[in-house]
Amino acid sequence: MLYNVLVANSRKVIIEMQRYLPNTLSLVATFYIIFLAMFFGISIIGDPATAEANIQFVIISNAFWFLAIMAMTSMGWEVTTEATRGTLEQLAMSPVGLPAILLMRMVANIATQLVIIAAMLVLVMWTAGQWLNFDLAMVPILLPTLISMIGIGYVVAGLSIIFKQIQALLQIIQFVFLGMTFVPLSVLPWLELAPFVKGVDLTRQVMTQGLGLGDLGALDWLSLIANAAVYFSLGLVFFRWCERVARRQGLLGQY
Amino acid sequence: MSQLIEVRDIAKSYRQRQGSQTVKALGGVSFSVQRGEVLGLLGPNGAGKTTTIKTICGLIVPDSGTVTIDGFDVQRERLKALRSISAVLEGNRNLYWRLTVRENLEYFAGNRGASRRQVRAQIEELLRQFRLADKGNELVNHLSRGMQQKLAIAVALLAGSEIILLDEPTLGLDVEAGYEVRQLLRDIANNQGRTLIISSHDMPVVQDLCQRVVIISGGRVVADDQVSNLLKLFATRAYQVTLGAPLSSAQLSRLQARFTASIDHPAKTVVRVNLEHGEDIYELIEILRLERTPVEAIDRTTINFEQVFLQVINGAKPLEETHAL
Repeated sequence: MLYNVLVANSRKVIIEMQRYLPNTLSLVATFYIIFLAMFFGISIIGDPATAEANIQFVIISNAFWFLAIMAMTSMGWEVTTEATRGTLEQLAMSPVGLPAILLMRMVANIATQLVIIAAMLVLVMWTAGQWLNFDLAMVPILLPTLISMIGIGYVVAGLSIIFKQIQALLQIIQFVFLGMTFVPLSVLPWLELAPFVKGVDLTRQVMTQGLGLGDLGALDWLSLIANAAVYFSLGLVFFRWCERVARRQGLLGQY
Repeated sequence: MSQLIEVRDIAKSYRQRQGSQTVKALGGVSFSVQRGEVLGLLGPNGAGKTTTIKTICGLIVPDSGTVTIDGFDVQRERLKALRSISAVLEGNRNLYWRLTVRENLEYFAGNRGASRRQVRAQIEELLRQFRLADKGNELVNHLSRGMQQKLAIAVALLAGSEIILLDEPTLGLDVEAGYEVRQLLRDIANNQGRTLIISSHDMPVVQDLCQRVVIISGGRVVADDQVSNLLKLFATRAYQVTLGAPLSSAQLSRLQARFTASIDHPAKTVVRVNLEHGEDIYELIEILRLERTPVEAIDRTTINFEQVFLQVINGAKPLEETHAL
C-alpha cells in the first residue's frame, strides 16, 4: 500500500519538476552560483596553503546545506502549497494518513534532489578541479542523517499546518542550517546532539579524508542511529499533535 | 437499508481570531444516514453545513458528540472510517491544476494505496462516463469550471468508497454544466448504490436527487424528513383562485378573518390562500358566492422545494412542530 503511495508521489514530484521547469532551473543555478562565490572567495582571499582542503570542505558542506534545506523545509512548503491550492484536506482524508503521504512525498523529493545534487557536485568538482572521494561507506551514514533531517521536516510541516505563513521562519532556518552544516564537530563537539550534524561531519570525513566504514567506532554508529531515531520520532509526534490541533480548530481547509 | 452513518449530538464552537469571543457553529446536531441513501444537507449560509460535513470527514474534531461510519468512530478510528469516505469539498480547488486529468485521477488513487495498473480500466470508464475521454491528457487549468467539477467528482468516485460527500457540487457552474453534473449524480445514486450526502443551495438539485433532507439552521437540525413528505406537507394547503371581478369589502373582511390570504390585482383579482384542511375550500367558495363573484380558475399552487426550505428556515422549528401548525 505504502509502495503505491510512494510511486504516486514520486511521479507527481517528477512531473511537477518538469512542469515548473524555471523553478527547477533556478534551484540548480542557485546551488552553482553560491558554490562559485565561495570557491572564488577562497581562491582569492584564502590562504593558498590550505586552499585545496578548504575548497573540498566548501563543496561538500554546500551540498549538505542544500540537502538539509530541501529535506527540512520542503515538507513545510508542501503543506503551505497544498493548503493554498485547497488540496490539503483531500490528502488528510486519505486512509493512509497525512503523515505517511508527506513522508512518501519527502522520500520522493529527497531521492530526486539527491540525483540533482550529485550531478551538480560533479559539475562543481570539475569547475574547482578538486575531485572528492565517493565511497559506498557514505550510504549507511547518509541514511540515518536523512532520517534525522526528515524528523525536523515534520516539525516545520507541523508548524506550517497551523500557522500556514511561516516563510519568514523558513528563511531564518536556512541560515541556522548553514551554520550546522558548515561548522565541523571538532570546533563545537556538543553539536553532535543536534539533528543530522554528526552524519554530515562523518560524510565530510569520508569524502575529504577517505574515512572508511571500518574507521567508525560503535559510539559513532550509536550516535548516528540514536540521533535519527530521536529526531524522527519527536518530529512525527509533534506533527501528529499539530495535525490534531489543526483539526480541532478547523485549520486544515484554511489559508 | 442498514445504518451507515450516525451523527450524534455534535457541537462545535470556534474562537474568533480577534478577541476571546466564541462562535457556535453547531449546537448538538444529530441524524443518521442509511446505506444507499441520498441525503441533502441544507441550510442558509453559516448554518453549520460545511462544519457538519467536515466533521463527518474527520477534518474537524467536534467539542462534543460522535460520528460513526460503518461502526468506526471517526475520531478514535479515523483512518479505518476514512476507508468508507471520499468527498468533493471545494470542487475544482480539490485538484492539481498543473497535472493532467488522468494524472490527477492516478495520483489521488495512489494516495489511497492503489497502483496505476489497478485503476487503469476504472479511469478509462470514468473518463468515458464523465465525457472527459478526449481531455485525459489535458492540464486541469485548461479545463472549464464544469469539467473541473466533473473531474473532482470522478476523483471521489475512483476512491471506491461507499460514501461520497459533496459540498455545493453545482456552485459556480453555468446552467448546462450544472445540469450535466446533476445527471451524473443521479446516475451515481441510481446505478452505483453509493451513499451520497449533498450539501447545496441549489434546490432543484436537492429536489431532483435527494430522498431525504436534513435542514440545519443556527447550528441545529430544524427538519429531518423525506423530500416528498415535506413537499406534501406544504403543497396541500396552497390554493390560487383567479376571479372575474374584484371582491367586495364584506367579502374581503370575511376572507381575512377566516384565512391567511393574499390578494393581487394585476389584471385579474387573484386570491392566494393557505387552507388548513381540504374541506375549507367550501368556506372559501361560500365567501365568493356572497356576491356571486365569477371564478375563472382554481389552481393548487405547485410548491417547489425552495419554498419549502424557506418556510422551514423562517419558522426554524423542528418538523414535528411544523406538522402541528
